[in-house]
Amino acid sequence: MRDLIRLIRLYTPYRLWIAGGIALGLATVLANFGLLALSGWFIATAGVVGLAGFAAQNAFNFFIPAAGVRFFAMIRVLARYTGRLVDHEATFRLLAGLRQSLYAKLEPLAPAGLAGDRGGDLLGRLVADVDRLGDFFLRVVSPFAVAALGSLVMALVFATMSPLAGIVLLAGLVTAGVGLPLISLALGDTPSRDAVALQTAMRADLVDSVQGMAELLTYNAAPAMVERVDRASAALMARQGRLATIAGIGAGGTLLLANLTMAAMLLIGGRLVFAGHLAGPDLALLALGAMAAFEAVAPLPAAFQTLGGMKDSARRIFEIIDRDVPVAEPATSPARPERLDLCLSGVRLRYPGQTGWALDGIDLAMAPGEHLVILGRSGAGKTSLVNLLLRFAAYQEGSVKLGGVELRTIRGDDLRSLFTLVSQRTQIFAGSLRDNLLIAHPAAADAALWRALEIAQLAEFVNAQPEGLDALVGEAGAKLSGGEARRLSLARAALRDTPFLILDEPTEALDPLTEAGFRAALARIAIGRTVITITHRLAGIGPADRVVVFEAGRIVEDGPFAALESAGGTITRLARLQNRMARL
Amino acid sequence: MAREIDQRLIAAGRGARRGLSAAIALGFAAGIALIAQAFLLARIVTGIIFDHATLGDVRGDLLGLAALFVIRALLSFAAEIAAHRAAASVKLSLRRTLLDHLFALGPSYAADERSADLAATLLDGIEALEPYLARYLPQMALVALVPLAILAAILPFDWISALILVVCGPIIPLFMVFIGYRAEAINQRQWRQLLVMSAHFLDAVQGITTLKLFGRARDEIALIGRISDEYRRVTMAGLRVAFLTSAALEFFASLSIALVAVLFGARLIHGDISFFPAFFVLLLVPEFFMPLRGLATHYHARMSALAAARRIFDVLDTEPKVRWGTKVPQHGAISIVCKALSVEYAPGVPVLRGIDCAFPAGSLTAIVGRSGAGKSSLAAAILGFVAPAEGQILIGDGQSLDTLDREAWWHRLAYVPQTPRLFAGTIADNLRLARPGADTLAMRAALARAKLLDVIETLPAGLDTMIGEAGEGLSGGQIQRLALARAFLKDAPLLILDEATAHLDLETEAELVETIADLAQDRTAIIIAHRLATVRQVDRILVLDEGRIVESGSHAALLARHGVYAALIGTTEATCAI
Repeated sequence: MRDLIRLIRLYTPYRLWIAGGIALGLATVLANFGLLALSGWFIATAGVVGLAGFAAQNAFNFFIPAAGVRFFAMIRVLARYTGRLVDHEATFRLLAGLRQSLYAKLEPLAPAGLAGDRGGDLLGRLVADVDRLGDFFLRVVSPFAVAALGSLVMALVFATMSPLAGIVLLAGLVTAGVGLPLISLALGDTPSRDAVALQTAMRADLVDSVQGMAELLTYNAAPAMVERVDRASAALMARQGRLATIAGIGAGGTLLLANLTMAAMLLIGGRLVFAGHLAGPDLALLALGAMAAFEAVAPLPAAFQTLGGMKDSARRIFEIIDRDVPVAEPATSPARPERLDLCLSGVRLRYPGQTGWALDGIDLAMAPGEHLVILGRSGAGKTSLVNLLLRFAAYQEGSVKLGGVELRTIRGDDLRSLFTLVSQRTQIFAGSLRDNLLIAHPAAADAALWRALEIAQLAEFVNAQPEGLDALVGEAGAKLSGGEARRLSLARAALRDTPFLILDEPTEALDPLTEAGFRAALARIAIGRTVITITHRLAGIGPADRVVVFEAGRIVEDGPFAALESAGGTITRLARLQNRMARL
Repeated sequence: MAREIDQRLIAAGRGARRGLSAAIALGFAAGIALIAQAFLLARIVTGIIFDHATLGDVRGDLLGLAALFVIRALLSFAAEIAAHRAAASVKLSLRRTLLDHLFALGPSYAADERSADLAATLLDGIEALEPYLARYLPQMALVALVPLAILAAILPFDWISALILVVCGPIIPLFMVFIGYRAEAINQRQWRQLLVMSAHFLDAVQGITTLKLFGRARDEIALIGRISDEYRRVTMAGLRVAFLTSAALEFFASLSIALVAVLFGARLIHGDISFFPAFFVLLLVPEFFMPLRGLATHYHARMSALAAARRIFDVLDTEPKVRWGTKVPQHGAISIVCKALSVEYAPGVPVLRGIDCAFPAGSLTAIVGRSGAGKSSLAAAILGFVAPAEGQILIGDGQSLDTLDREAWWHRLAYVPQTPRLFAGTIADNLRLARPGADTLAMRAALARAKLLDVIETLPAGLDTMIGEAGEGLSGGQIQRLALARAFLKDAPLLILDEATAHLDLETEAELVETIADLAQDRTAIIIAHRLATVRQVDRILVLDEGRIVESGSHAALLARHGVYAALIGTTEATCAI
């Protein structure tokens, strides 16, 4: 409930649109109610007048009720049309606002603060959640508001004729709009939970079937898999059957309730008419009005259903928004130092919520233009070092100085403008090749783009595209091969003339045959920069390269490769292993 | 087009046609009950207002009304159930047929880029059929039937009102078609734009780190707002037209009620007509338009269901190309001969061009070549995943592969793909895939040979540890080893193995090469090799280039030739950690 209140608060900038949408929705419902109720009253009155003789006929003002009927009909049409437009306008504005504010919250969290405990699809789910919450007004707020206000107004109209009729109508509407949906939800809770679990399990099996098809076939396990999916499918149908039964009872119940309410009007009104307390035509008004009134609560069962999912989405989004920002940002940066040497002393880094140190007392100095290889197994602290340098993670102890300036006094964006990172996780964006290059250097001219492509050995490929630089790369670069995507990220790096270059497993998952060319391109980009290469293999390390070996957040070896090779440590062991494999 | 799809969908489910007919019949019966209800209601109201009847006087009608209420509720309930049953039978049988057919089409059809879409079609695509089958289709029939029944009921009482409905009724569908076609076109365009906009946001969120690295993340906030605004403007322009459809429905429905009421009023005042027929007709007029309104609500269900159905039938209409026979391969060791073997995925674009080669029984052969040279296609042809365009594959003493029973053939081989798949379930489930009845002892032995037993034994649940998407994560090297353990367990006379290209750490890589050598012993083995350490120890190397075998021989002999292989190894040796 608290999440929903927070959610509603997010919507305050759009309150005029929301109020307009609700007002028009209310007008739509009330116009229908007015049209039918007045029509009933009108023909009944006309019938009574017609039997009462000539004098009464002359005394009866035909035109006012006839105009009223037409008025309600027109209001109904106009309110319905404009209401839908306003609803959607409001929804789109809300969605745009939600997306912007969410993104503004995510930006300081990325990437360390977004590392999901629930695995990689955290962000994809977040996007789906935001899209769902965009409908919160259209599918939840508006139906409830219109139903509540509409029911009250209609009950009040009835109450002017008979208080009992008003109360009975309100009771009928509340039962049909709130009571029945809540009962349906309670009854459907278990089967719908089961259905979700079954679908999740079936999705896993289906993805297995498609992606593991070769293995399933050659192990002759395909028939068993088909049986398994079929059984899950049948179980799902059984749960859906139970849900359909509940939905059927709900629909039948609502119909029955609406009819019973109308019958109650006959009983209440009929007694009053016979006793002379109510004019005959008012009975027609009550009967037809009661029938029309239930339109107001018709969308509520669906709204209740949506509300459940909305709560979960809101909870997930707020859970992320409320996370602590991993790195505190200073408002301004000191002037950029002249000589950019890097000096870490006694640095310890721990991620929020973790007990162990990811970096546990690092001492490391780098002169401008120096090339350094950081070697270690996964989990040794290599990536934490990158996060530290790029201010994606905060260090708690020790000092990191860049040209004598403490790192935490520099604004993240200013600091990152000194670094270029090449890693396999670089995102390629849907759009053209040009769009993807300009992200690195928005003002770059075409000539510069081509030069970067040349360095990345991608110029030939781009030249072969009929659209050249404007060729589209598909969603997340889906139209590019793995190697092409990596080269594109390399071209981006070539466009950025930064003093520091970090290569995070730059050739990971590249075909061994394309690796050679990639390394040559990297070497060209590295000229004149301070380069930190992160790797877990000896490939591409020259004898004179300075190698720093990480283990469990500490530096265990540091020196030229040739020296470490015979020092009897990790490098010696790895080098022996490599020789042994070559001799196999 | 849509009609054809309807027919195929309905035909797919056992008893679906009957279920849908029942749903329509029940819906129609509910329509008749509705007319009867209006009749009784009009009689009661007329009695009370004009004949000064007491409630006791109209008791019979009131009881009849109550009975009709219950009947209508029951009919509505039963229609819902019947429609759901029909839809469920279609969904159930389609899902099974589709999955069966996908397995018949094989992995070369369900290739990587399609896999996500296919899995979604199998689950969500088929689920999307439900609202269409269970709601839209019955409603479609009722749109014609119920209003006609209402019209027939009204006509004897008042031809003027009937005329109003006859004029207004058909105009709405006409109007819907007129605006609808345009609206649908607009809709589709918007749908695409919506996808583009959502994709951009997803892109921006997933690439937030990249944008931040380039110092562009804050600009993105404004960009998201701009793109959303742009989308809103374009969409609203479209919706202004699209919403005219519902406005037209509302217009004619409201206009008819108003016209009927006003015309009755005028005639009643002059005593030209009595109240009962007027009230009866007025009660029915809103109901005349009700089915149309229902149809409009399910329109979106129709669009997504038809799109899903098209995808489903696209798959079902694709014929499997690989032919199989019924023969069982001979017992004992397996030898394979490829004769003038050509393979093409698209007509005229061969990936293998007339390959002649032999894999003698008990030999270890490595296939090497650049990516795209045809290595995987050769393996796929021997596995029976693709059909030869020309030439043939002979097993043993000249049995052609396409005369063999496919399950019997697969029974004789173990295949380890480049990226082995872990299936949802336990480690034991994953192992038993290779040999369903395998006991713990056999599984532990296989794990030990794959050098994975130590790791498994440290897990609290051991062999019963859940893995796959829902379970424990295994490292890349461990996944490879589990796949090798599966192959050890199967112990088939033929091994086809596609070596992993992913860079594992040096220790893991060295161990894997040894394990693969162990696995290849005492059987015919074909390895698509990416590592120098692997090719050094094979009996013979086949070098593929552009779909042809360009060289073959031992490592030493090929190196001495200074040909394609030497060039290939040269680049590899200089850059790789092998």
